[in-house]
Amino acid sequence: MREQPNVKIATDAIKAWQLTAHIYALIFLLITIGAIVVYIIFDFLPLWIVFIIAGLTVAEWIITALIIPKLRWRRWRYQVYDQEIYIQHGILIVTRTIVPMIRVQHVDTQQGPVLKKYKLATLEISTAATTHQIPALLEEEAYDLRDQISELARVEQDDV
Amino acid sequence: MSNPKRLHPAAVIFNIIQSLKQSIIGLLPIAIVIIRNSNTFYLIIGLLVIIGLIILFSFLSWLRFTYQLEEDQLRIERGILIRKKRTISKHRIQSIDLSQNVIHRIFGLTKVAIETAGNDSSTDAALSAVRMEDGRMLHDELKYKKHVPETGELETEVSDNEQQEQDEAHLPKRTITIQALLITGSTSASFGILIGLFGVAFSQVETLIPDQFYDDATRWLLSLGMQIIIILAIIVLIFLWLLSILYTVIKDWNFTITRYEKELFITRGLLEKKQTTIPLKRIQAVGMKESPIHQLFGFARPYVEIASGEINSSQEVNTIIFPLLRKKEFAAFLSEFLPEYSYRTENLIHPPKKALPYYLWRSINLPLLAVIITGIFFVSYIWIPAIIMLVLGIMGFAVFKSIGYAIDEQQITIQTRTISKDTAIIPHRRIQALQQKQHLLHRKQSLATLDMAILNKGAGRHFVIKELRTADSYSIADWYSYREKV
Repeated sequence: MREQPNVKIATDAIKAWQLTAHIYALIFLLITIGAIVVYIIFDFLPLWIVFIIAGLTVAEWIITALIIPKLRWRRWRYQVYDQEIYIQHGILIVTRTIVPMIRVQHVDTQQGPVLKKYKLATLEISTAATTHQIPALLEEEAYDLRDQISELARVEQDDV
Repeated sequence: MSNPKRLHPAAVIFNIIQSLKQSIIGLLPIAIVIIRNSNTFYLIIGLLVIIGLIILFSFLSWLRFTYQLEEDQLRIERGILIRKKRTISKHRIQSIDLSQNVIHRIFGLTKVAIETAGNDSSTDAALSAVRMEDGRMLHDELKYKKHVPETGELETEVSDNEQQEQDEAHLPKRTITIQALLITGSTSASFGILIGLFGVAFSQVETLIPDQFYDDATRWLLSLGMQIIIILAIIVLIFLWLLSILYTVIKDWNFTITRYEKELFITRGLLEKKQTTIPLKRIQAVGMKESPIHQLFGFARPYVEIASGEINSSQEVNTIIFPLLRKKEFAAFLSEFLPEYSYRTENLIHPPKKALPYYLWRSINLPLLAVIITGIFFVSYIWIPAIIMLVLGIMGFAVFKSIGYAIDEQQITIQTRTISKDTAIIPHRRIQALQQKQHLLHRKQSLATLDMAILNKGAGRHFVIKELRTADSYSIADWYSYREKV
């Protein structure tokens, strides 16, 4: 666990996360617009609250859409060995995880509309007690990895 | 025994009790509303109808419940309208436990709980009341006369009952002494729970007591003066304490643990006799807990973590395998009953000194906030949160002092503390995944938090060691890693 894993996830992950962030920012934008409307038409809110809401919206958008995806992508790494899967992620709190192959119970791939747009998929690895995700892999790669892991995991499952 | 058999008619009583238990929570608010409106007539009619329905359904479900023992499987059919049939194959059965509560014992009956290999409790089965000899017969039939040997294992199953009984004398076995039981009861946490329950019950009853009476009683109590109130309170506390001792004695009476070749077997109970079978295969970790009081007197409670969804699973996620031991006996206890695990804590590795501030911060951050707030607004009361902060700080320090780990070839020993000290021994192959976490400050100070997950009766248990030296954290990871070591 001294060295970090050496495989990065797809570069398009940044775009996919940015798109997701834009969509979430839209919700905040709507709230801001609502606040402005309330301020102008009903003259109900104090002006400074409107400014705070607008400021928060912009800040949220900048942080989640412009800053986080890149940092997140830079940290995300994984490596699949014959005996185990090694994952690293986290921007402020760096988490490194070891999942032994013989503890893997099943592997899933998931794909939402955003990931589908960029031809990406998320790999989900479950043991009896925990689940682990590798987000935003290239579709092909995710499916190959899923098959590869389930093949490797098949070797001698002792009880539990 | 090829004909389908019904349960003993007393099962109707259990059905009734169970449906009453289930419906009482739903009915209580309605009942209270009706009582408030004091329409006694409707209340009685409604109650009669509901009780009538419950009795009818309990009777019908007894009528439609049959079990049948075939070649090497147990077949259960049940359901009033929707018929459900379940076949449980003999060699999938992990354990069969017979337990008797008071009603069972009046009629000479027993409950049979059958647990299968799945983690899903819905695959298990229970016969709520059969005659004792039938229960014994089912137990022996399903358990010992296995036609299919265990997969992979070469040892042949002991197939004869008599032989089983002959061997009984040589098996490791231990029964709790009455003295130890009394100590368990008098130091158990159920005392605190009882106080809590008493408080809750009182606050519920309070609303039902007429205001007039309540006021009179309060006035009378206040007129007695402080000393008498304190004495009364002490009497109530002592009464609750005795009650909790009584509860433990009844629950754990004659607690006996026996080690068979492939399982641990526990019997206990004065009024309700309970059996628990723990197949060794399902044990994920072994440990012992020391509450502060127990620690003071050098006692400990050994427990195991099991992977299963038990039918009658209690609130506790781990299973106590003996009510009370001297701590120094624990190693011997393990080598007698679970020689697969060994207890060694001489060379525990602890987090470094520089981790202490994190532990203290975690335990006092909330009270610190309280101190600051009271400091600003009610300076004269600042001592209340300050004392709380001091106590929590000491606890944080105790947590720091307790935490540690030791690695052996095939097992890791992890010592942690929340309030009770908890020492767990986990085999390498039972750890499902290992995680190391580091935030910014950790990385600067080369500290790391380690998290090991195992399976248990609940959603899994995470053993977390916070702020280890990274070197130690890496050495645990190396020990855990399945990668071929270069």
